[in-house]
Amino acid sequence: MSDQAQQPPGKRRIGVYVCHCGGNISDYVDLNRVVDTVKDEADVVVVRDAMFTCSDVTQEQISKDIREQALDGLVVASCSPKLHTTTFRGVARRGGLNPYQYTQANIREQCSWAHTDDREGATEKAISLVRAAIAKTRLSEALEPLAVETTKRALIVGGGVAGMRAAIGLADIGIGVFLVERDAELGGRVRSLGKMFPNGTDGHDLARRLDAEIRRRPSITVFTSAELVKKSGTYGNYKVTVAVGGEQISLEVGQVIVATGFAPYEPEQGELGYGSPGVVTLETFTRMLGEGEGPLAFQGRPVKSVAYVYCVGSRDDTHPYCSRYCCSAAVHAALLLAGRDSGVRQYHLYRDMRTYGRHELQYSESRQRGSVYMKFADDDRPEVVAGSGALRVTVRDVLTGGKELVIGPDLVVLVTGMVPRANEELTAALKLPVGLDGFYNEIHPKLRPVETVVEGVSICGACQGPKTAAESVASGLAAAAQAAAVLKRGVAELDPQVALVHPDLCTGCGQCVTACPYSAISLTDGGSAKVASIDPAACKGCGGCAPSCPEDAIDLAGYTDAQVRSMIDSLLVGSPT
Amino acid sequence: MGYDALVVGSGVAGMESALKLGDMGYKVLVIEEGPSIGGKMILLSKVFPTLDCASCISTPKMAATAHHPNVTVVTEAQLSRVARDGDGSFRVGLLKKPRFVNLSACTGCRQCEQACTVSVPDQFNGDMVARRAAYIPFPQAVPLKAVIDRAGTSPCTFGCPAGVKAHGYVSLIRSGLYEEAFNLVLEATPLAATLGRACYAPCEGECSRGSLEGPLPIRKLKRFVADAHYSHEERPPIDRPTPNGKRVAVVGSGPAGVTAAWQLAKRGYAVKIFEAAPVAGGAMRLSIPSYRLPAAAVEWDLANLSEIGVEIATGCRVDNLEQLKGDGFDAVLVSTGTTRSMKLGVPGEDTLAGISSALDFLRDTKLDKAPDLGGKAVAVIGGGNVAIDAARSARRLGASQVHLVCLEGRDEMPAYAWEVDEAAFEGVEVHNGWGVVSFTGKSAVATVQLKQCTSVFDADGRFNPTYDDAVRSELRCDAAIVAIGMGADISAFPALAADGARRLEAAAATFETKVPGVFAAGDAVMGPTTIARAAGHGAQAAYLIDRYLSGLELKGPVGPLPAVDKDQVLSRQRRYSRRDPLTASIPLEPSPSNFNETEAPISEDEARTAVSRCLDCGVCSECHQCLAACPADAIDLDMRAEEEELHVGTVIISTGYSLFPADAKPQYGYGEFPNVITAMQMDRLLAPTRPYNTVLRPSDGKVPERVAYVMCTGSRDQTVGNPLCSKFCCMYSLKQNQLVLGALPLADVTVHYIDIRAAGKGYDEFFEQAKAMGTTFLKGRVSGITETEAHNLVLRYEDIGNGGGAKEAEYDLVVLAVGVQPNAEAARLFAPGELTLDAYGYMAEVDEDTEPAATSIPGVFLAGSASGPKDIPESILHAGAAVVQAAAYLERRGALA
Repeated sequence: MSDQAQQPPGKRRIGVYVCHCGGNISDYVDLNRVVDTVKDEADVVVVRDAMFTCSDVTQEQISKDIREQALDGLVVASCSPKLHTTTFRGVARRGGLNPYQYTQANIREQCSWAHTDDREGATEKAISLVRAAIAKTRLSEALEPLAVETTKRALIVGGGVAGMRAAIGLADIGIGVFLVERDAELGGRVRSLGKMFPNGTDGHDLARRLDAEIRRRPSITVFTSAELVKKSGTYGNYKVTVAVGGEQISLEVGQVIVATGFAPYEPEQGELGYGSPGVVTLETFTRMLGEGEGPLAFQGRPVKSVAYVYCVGSRDDTHPYCSRYCCSAAVHAALLLAGRDSGVRQYHLYRDMRTYGRHELQYSESRQRGSVYMKFADDDRPEVVAGSGALRVTVRDVLTGGKELVIGPDLVVLVTGMVPRANEELTAALKLPVGLDGFYNEIHPKLRPVETVVEGVSICGACQGPKTAAESVASGLAAAAQAAAVLKRGVAELDPQVALVHPDLCTGCGQCVTACPYSAISLTDGGSAKVASIDPAACKGCGGCAPSCPEDAIDLAGYTDAQVRSMIDSLLVGSPT
Repeated sequence: MGYDALVVGSGVAGMESALKLGDMGYKVLVIEEGPSIGGKMILLSKVFPTLDCASCISTPKMAATAHHPNVTVVTEAQLSRVARDGDGSFRVGLLKKPRFVNLSACTGCRQCEQACTVSVPDQFNGDMVARRAAYIPFPQAVPLKAVIDRAGTSPCTFGCPAGVKAHGYVSLIRSGLYEEAFNLVLEATPLAATLGRACYAPCEGECSRGSLEGPLPIRKLKRFVADAHYSHEERPPIDRPTPNGKRVAVVGSGPAGVTAAWQLAKRGYAVKIFEAAPVAGGAMRLSIPSYRLPAAAVEWDLANLSEIGVEIATGCRVDNLEQLKGDGFDAVLVSTGTTRSMKLGVPGEDTLAGISSALDFLRDTKLDKAPDLGGKAVAVIGGGNVAIDAARSARRLGASQVHLVCLEGRDEMPAYAWEVDEAAFEGVEVHNGWGVVSFTGKSAVATVQLKQCTSVFDADGRFNPTYDDAVRSELRCDAAIVAIGMGADISAFPALAADGARRLEAAAATFETKVPGVFAAGDAVMGPTTIARAAGHGAQAAYLIDRYLSGLELKGPVGPLPAVDKDQVLSRQRRYSRRDPLTASIPLEPSPSNFNETEAPISEDEARTAVSRCLDCGVCSECHQCLAACPADAIDLDMRAEEEELHVGTVIISTGYSLFPADAKPQYGYGEFPNVITAMQMDRLLAPTRPYNTVLRPSDGKVPERVAYVMCTGSRDQTVGNPLCSKFCCMYSLKQNQLVLGALPLADVTVHYIDIRAAGKGYDEFFEQAKAMGTTFLKGRVSGITETEAHNLVLRYEDIGNGGGAKEAEYDLVVLAVGVQPNAEAARLFAPGELTLDAYGYMAEVDEDTEPAATSIPGVFLAGSASGPKDIPESILHAGAAVVQAAAYLERRGALA
């Protein structure tokens, strides 16, 4: 590595900042001792502690220290680097220090939070972690980010409301869009819906309206009956392969937005009478309400009473989450039915009415218009007896002191929730992260709510978790905002912490080429023999190649072998041998 | 100035909007009404459902917003109006409120905060602890700069004609800083001991406590600090400023003259006062009787002038102004007061012995040359302060009878009622409604002949007495004193005389006379007033003379902020405790025999008790301690609001919501029972920057063992006019349940709820987690809360899940899960009705299904809870929706800046 990296201790000027994180760290770690100990480390010229190092005032202090003390290395001992690496790289840059000469020591998630019962041990560990970070920083080098021109076009997978609205949003700010839809037409779930809650918008109309808007915009190219099968390429410049009608086409895009929506829960046969005549899902019931007028009939027989059973496929062992929209959707359906037939009797068997926000108004209205609500306990689901005879629903109603009530409705509506869509191919093709609930996961619900850990791929709409149509549209636009923030300027900066080959050591054996999961390494002509060559735009800095090299000819910028060794050495300082 | 986008409000939605637009390359202006960006989120403890520390998520967004190259942040700013132009852009009026701290100079060192003498509830800590009037909002504030909280000028200070910062010295006394309090008075006038005794104290008439149990004794408090200073043997000397080489002559050493001389001397002028009388002090020394104002007190005050280097030449009458200029004075101030007595003009007045003017009588008395009135009957003519002074002095000189005769009825008399009462107590007989016809007697006066006065003022309120000549009376007397008015003695300065020759003429705005370089001030210009008014006039004259001699335009200083509305002050006192004023009365004697000061001084204890009653009406007291403490000279109390016009391409309104005021549900006792708190207060108790560093209850600092949550306080509640669900209270309560159980593992936490609305990604799982940690959930509303003697709280609630029926349970601490109210202030910036609201007062999204965030005005968008309650993730997504549409709008009409 460079001369600087070879420098012995005593030549660097490192600043160390130790964070109390309010009390998240200082309640469990003796930070005075940490500060006192590391201030004597070689090359450390300034050590400070702060209530919140991420606060603006401490950021300014650090930046001032960098300038005034001519720091050439920075260590912040605080939370996980996942949270604040970019924050402190920014501070370093503002102070005039190369951002890659900054190291974050995680003394919160990996120390104070993990050892709340052992102040002594946690303090020792924090000291070791800070020492290791200093050791790494001592050998750090200035790295320059790779500036790449980005492709000012996005690919949107999924032509439901979220995807359609995102496409329009991007097109309107000058970014081209490829919209890929698996179905034969755009519109997604709402296309088949009649009046939707809470605004009474007709789903079919809504889909048609968005479809028309898309057609008016030449910068949106729609592929229907199409699926994304492959994504490759580098940040801001991806190649995606889309299968359309037996043909595979290749598209170049700068960002990918996944908006593949949800699947309605399909109850199991026999679950709450499902499969028997007169027991339908909310999905089916909503469709029935969208057809015809006046009192409802089911299979030729008038529907004089309806029982709704809530939380079917939600908040149970297999689906531990709440589907968010179903309470409001069921209440809205009940209002639609009451509008068609004021004489109909409606019974709602629920656990918690989650008609949040304005939806509460419809819940109130439904009660005023005769809907009767009964609450069942979490572990005391109603029973539905169906079959050849009349329907019979038995519920123990918490609201009337736990009385067992029996209803004989003409129709039972199972208020079914949302489940993740079966999208294994897409999930695999994009390596999308899936959460415990089966929906796609964002990086952080507040800091990066639409981005995924897969670079360049955002998620929105109900593929991320249950949402109403309006919420899906808002999140679709948020994903569009994220894509536009990357693409609008046309240039992006890439992380320079990538693998580097020492050509003089490389024997061209090719083991790294097989080890690289991103196809970033190829063998090129290196004069006398073939040597490995790494495309810095494709390399993700995962480090997978480095240990595969029998000659130690590959190093990872920012995590060189020398750095890692020195970190290990410093972690071992003072530990029992 | 032009920006592509204006973002109004800097909570999480506003910051997200600004950052995303900035990333896209648009120039963004963020304006924030408060002193820091960050909105409500930065005040929270942790956030659901990840239990991330709220600061850890907010601070980087705040810093990123503040440092983004495309984003400009202005705090303490409001919009005054927004108008859409024909081309689709917006003309915006930006009102920058004064922060009273220069942002570029302030380093956030907090020295002003430590020096500040006013404490008020800390709104950033749920009003549970105090902050100072000079303060840094909270530890993570951006910008981390001080702000001075000024609601206006405190009424007492506003009412002081001498410009003394009355609230300031009250506040300094409260902090035990007596010498600083004295020096604050001296910033306005050197007459601390004098005004502490003989001021008519308009401040006390303005005191907001006056409409409660009675005003603070503001005047006596000034006397307290003055006496404390002057009685101190080793008091620090007054610094003499560096001379500026210019000289000013002041003619007359009354309150106007000495105050002007003092102010000029402080600015480096060499000042010489010329006084015709054998002693300095004007009316203070020669008219006001010693029982009200001892000569010693005036002497103490005048010594300040000598200390600072002002020369006072007594017995030195000036009658040639030109000569003064010739003597090398660069400017002259004439402040000779009203030394000429008015005459009745009745027979006998000029011919009979034993008749004198009040001014002569009082002056002789003060100079120990009083006539012998022992056993005599004295008639005093006049109904003003001077007449009272003369009458009471006559009693002290041994007069057996003193008759005070005046035209006015008792309640029309110009003298203060209490003065008349005191005079009466001392044996002065007051004869109201009589006019003097003549004095009779052989060579000395023996009677005063009177006729009945039927009215004093005419229909226009002018002095125009009418008499009934038929109704006559007479008073026998051995001496008579005429006290019917005074005027300026213009004999020395005929060139300066005004029409009518009873006062000098000076321009109202500049105090200049007709003679260049000669200024006039005080009673000589205004006619007889009070010491305080004359002193204030003198100070203004000094300010203008300084500007004149500095070659600056002759205009007055920046005026005070408007006086604070007293109703507002009183409504600010949430829990107001009655504190009675001092009741010490002036010990009077029916037959006073000496000129000893009648009013007793107040003790230190009394002073400290008295100042504890101050309501800090203006918040900042103008005690000026911050000015002295600030090492960066960053504080500027003369800052005033500024308005500028901006041109922007699109507007995003992200002004959030207001929390339901919990005291609007009186049955829950918020504001009355100290241990009923709101969830926002609980969040503060749990936050890393929490006020008590642990969770404890406010009444006694006890660690609560039984904590109850009352859900839907102000939500889903027609009785308070809000049928909506506030969407996130369930979730924040579930979060707090877990944090409380984490902080207090032995505590029982009970949630009284209607429905637990944990609808959102990971939210129901979070609900299960709260249950698993041991939170008890009871379905049913709480009908009321009562308090036990130990300040525990008894909740009356419906217990639906356990067989129903009303039950009661006792808790140590009750948390009200308050809901959300709309904050639609921003709608008022537009033409009426232009920005439509929904039925519940939120700014309306016209097409929530396809154009979320779009309003009724093209180019104006909403982000976050401005359009209805949203939690943080939803607010951020909503901001994204606003951003895309705002960007599309800009692209459509071409970026502006």
